[in-house]
Amino acid sequence: MIMPSGQQLLLPASPLFIASSLLGALLLSMLSQQPWMPDVMALTLVFWTVHQPLRVGIGAAFCFGLVMDVQQAGLLGQHALAYTALSFLGIMIHRRVLWFPVPSQALQILPLMMAAHLLEFLVRLASGGGWPDWSYWLAPVLQALLWPLASVLLLMPQRRAPDPDATRPL
Amino acid sequence: MPLGTLDRSPPPFFRQGLSALSKLIIFSALAVFLMVADVRLGMTGPLRSALFTVLQPLQWLSLQPGRALQFVAQHFEDLAQAQEQATQARKELSLQLLRSGQVEQLTQENQQLRQLLELKQRMDPSAQAAEIIYEAADPYSQKVIIDKGLAAGIETGSPVIDAGGVIGQVTRVHPLVSEVTLVIDREMSIPVLNPRTGVRSVAYGEPAQGAIELRFMASNADIAEGDLLTTSGVDGVYPAGLPVARVSQIQRRAESTFARIYCKPLAHVGAARHLLVLKPLRTQLPPAPEPPRAKSGRGKGGRS
Repeated sequence: MIMPSGQQLLLPASPLFIASSLLGALLLSMLSQQPWMPDVMALTLVFWTVHQPLRVGIGAAFCFGLVMDVQQAGLLGQHALAYTALSFLGIMIHRRVLWFPVPSQALQILPLMMAAHLLEFLVRLASGGGWPDWSYWLAPVLQALLWPLASVLLLMPQRRAPDPDATRPL
Repeated sequence: MPLGTLDRSPPPFFRQGLSALSKLIIFSALAVFLMVADVRLGMTGPLRSALFTVLQPLQWLSLQPGRALQFVAQHFEDLAQAQEQATQARKELSLQLLRSGQVEQLTQENQQLRQLLELKQRMDPSAQAAEIIYEAADPYSQKVIIDKGLAAGIETGSPVIDAGGVIGQVTRVHPLVSEVTLVIDREMSIPVLNPRTGVRSVAYGEPAQGAIELRFMASNADIAEGDLLTTSGVDGVYPAGLPVARVSQIQRRAESTFARIYCKPLAHVGAARHLLVLKPLRTQLPPAPEPPRAKSGRGKGGRS
């Protein structure tokens, strides 16, 4: 198995954990009210398309995008389109990105987030939505900044000891 | 090394399904189709309602921490503050009592006068109380979700008011919840009347200012800051005489024929919690008279 040197060998990801993390992200994104708040759903989707491209792909991203649209009472399909493009870009770069240290990964994720946000913005502009607040453009930056945190939290179950004993219960 | 350390199932070589690019194309086309269906064809109502109903438990769950905090905060509220609020409420109630007594009498008088003059009876708006569950997070629109839906008999187009005045209109009804578009939404317009001068006009939402704007009023129109605007009742949606907004800012510019007039909504647009959903007037109005048949050939340019 080819992988970057000096990294811990990860346990296989549990599909149950992936699903529950996506649902948790959906819950969190339901709480966001302001345009500048980072879209946790997009971040989690990109994270799993980069780390587990066979489990979470474009179809899942589309479905979660649809759910976001309904929940936000916006134009149906705008998030679906943005998330579809986002996960496609995620799959495009997934072989490369994981070779970099985590802060550089965040830097490589930033253009993806910006592109998805721009796509959503263009769709709204085309459908006559007008200009949002400038703080709208803060969200993709915050999402990229949250990437290291997501890498710690979402990989935690995979970093557990493979043979738990009394000194390493988890 | 124990088993279970590695992902033991190798990736399938032959059953990889569609390529990422073809998936991108298919799902993007589907998304674009949904947008067109949503905006132009209006076919997505059932899909929206179904997804909304599925999301309901999650939504409920996401609101619980906030509710719990609120409950605790209310529990430990200062006694003096609570007493002050109660006194204030009692004062307001006594004032309202006086007014409501007058209203009873006036309604009766109005009814008799209308009978004498053989005018049509005024519509009687029936109302339903509802509570705001959350504000929609879409940065392009100003909407709130209320906790009454199709099951409670809410209809699309119903006017919604709060303690201050008109706050918006029901734009989508789902089985258990409905979406209310606020008066400050970009796509919202509301016919208003200035009771001081009797001039009717239409107010449009201006979300950037958190206000509504009176457009196409001439620069020399008789309007002053502080004027009250009420619903005019000519639209078949809002009952007449509900307070809507107060004129807050007038810019008369030499280069433009029209004045720029901003009004502040009287409803607590950002902070309301309890609302009243009225029945839309159009269900109570008599049917509109048949438009006269367009003369053949040149009419109004074939517009219907």
